Amino acid sequence: MKWMAGFTKFWAYVSFGLVCGVILFLFGYVFYRGAGTISVEFLTEAPKGLVLGEEGGIFPAIIGSLFFTGTAVVLGGIPALASALYLVFYCQNKKVERLLHLVIQCISGIPSIVLGLFAYSFLVRDLNLGRCILSAGTALAIMILPFIEVRAEKAFREIPACMIQSSYALGCSRFYTITRIILPACRGELVSGIILGGCYAMGATAPMIFTGAVAYAAVPESLLSPAMALPLHLYLLLAQGATSMDTAYGTAFVMMAIILISNMLATIYARRSQKKWKRS
Amino acid sequence: MRRKLNLLFSLFIYILTALAVLVLGFVIYFIVKEALPLFSEVSVGEFLLGTRWMPIAYTGSVSFGIFNFIAATVYVSFTAMVLAVGVGLGASVFLSCVATDRMRGILYPFVDLLAGIPSVIYGFIGLSVLVKIFLKAGVHTGSCVLAAGILLAVMLLPFLVASCSETMLKEREKYEAAADALGISRWYAVATIILPASFKNILLSMILAIGRAMGETMAVMMVMGNSNLFPRLLGKSESIASVIALEMGTAVYGSTHYHALYGAGLVLMILLFLINIIINLVRSRMVQE
Repeated sequence: MKWMAGFTKFWAYVSFGLVCGVILFLFGYVFYRGAGTISVEFLTEAPKGLVLGEEGGIFPAIIGSLFFTGTAVVLGGIPALASALYLVFYCQNKKVERLLHLVIQCISGIPSIVLGLFAYSFLVRDLNLGRCILSAGTALAIMILPFIEVRAEKAFREIPACMIQSSYALGCSRFYTITRIILPACRGELVSGIILGGCYAMGATAPMIFTGAVAYAAVPESLLSPAMALPLHLYLLLAQGATSMDTAYGTAFVMMAIILISNMLATIYARRSQKKWKRS
Repeated sequence: MRRKLNLLFSLFIYILTALAVLVLGFVIYFIVKEALPLFSEVSVGEFLLGTRWMPIAYTGSVSFGIFNFIAATVYVSFTAMVLAVGVGLGASVFLSCVATDRMRGILYPFVDLLAGIPSVIYGFIGLSVLVKIFLKAGVHTGSCVLAAGILLAVMLLPFLVASCSETMLKEREKYEAAADALGISRWYAVATIILPASFKNILLSMILAIGRAMGETMAVMMVMGNSNLFPRLLGKSESIASVIALEMGTAVYGSTHYHALYGAGLVLMILLFLINIIINLVRSRMVQE
């Protein structure tokens, strides 16, 4: 039976090495291949040339992606926080709670492409919004709503009950308790949850193929105009063949850099505002 | 004034929650509604078990059978899960039993980076690295189910590692003192106590991982070759999500093709729903024990 111990040890070290290797490879590969394309012009100019991405930069796609992400975070984040607050502090009926959890679980199980399909038929066609940032943003918002809700609810439930009880015992209203005690206490988790949800929305391609992202557009002026988006731009560059691989690597570089930076910010912020009762 | 504020805030929370639930419920209702007209033209059995997918009648008759797509979706998710568990379990043993608390604080966010990478980038790297390797190894055109499985496995890793190492950490805290007292070596304790004790939770996260893999669209679509064939490890195939993504732009609104795509989406949703039910059943049984 001694071999089992040795085998497990070997297995653990090798597979952890493999995981780290894969992560370093993914980031290293994209950064290495994309670094040559990155320049001030690439980041601040619109695509030019006959074939998409042959010349020029990706500025409208960066701004477009920010618009999509912003819309999704506002439309999805606020209801997500509200329903998490409701579930933890307002809801007293077990059945209602179970129903809410069921619906949220169902939605988080819906593949993102089906959400795109829904937004296309309902928002773009039936409501006649057309392909625009708002339609795609709504699809993305529905996608990240469960993501943020689950994290927020977990954070709220981790607050020690005595803190909430003390606040009520002092005669504070629910509003006061939530805004002055609970939200500040969970600040770290909430902000990092929203940042990660935003990253998730930014990287999703499937929900916006038919609903708002287009191959070429100027910098959007309102929420009712279509826009370019980084992930779709990358996909289209790949789909048209090997003509603009450099731009594709550059686009991937920009996306990976955004993901890496916002992940780091989220982690650092969450750690800095770690709660006092968790620190030993 | 203060009481009004309190009331207003409660109202705000109630309305937003109701809105969120209504919208989410409406999405589910809408998808079912758009899928149902299909079954007045194509029978359920024909749709689920047929292997011919001919949405446009330029070669004879139209036909809507998604059996190959369902098989491909399940097959590729299963492949991905098997690959991911092999590596993910080892990595979680490392994280829960070797790493110190400080190391964990750095390594968890590091592994989580994998979850943040957009699927289109996975597809991109799959195309420019994996597919080329498969091409050199002699697979025609390089795109195959195994390539998609490997990509998906990497995408599943952060979820598997997070949930498995959490379970193992709990089991370790429970049994470590006893194992030390008996003088068992650490690795022997890991192999014979901690791993078997966390087996059930590992199984649960494996099922969850399959569910996650089934809904993935872009990465799979980009490296799987997309042709209506029964999946083989080194052959091309097409998943349900890819069919929807590839054909939605060309389907005429209100046509059978359009409803069939919604039908495919509904099938995918039901598969995921079944997985959720299985998980809840297993979990409630575990609580009872």
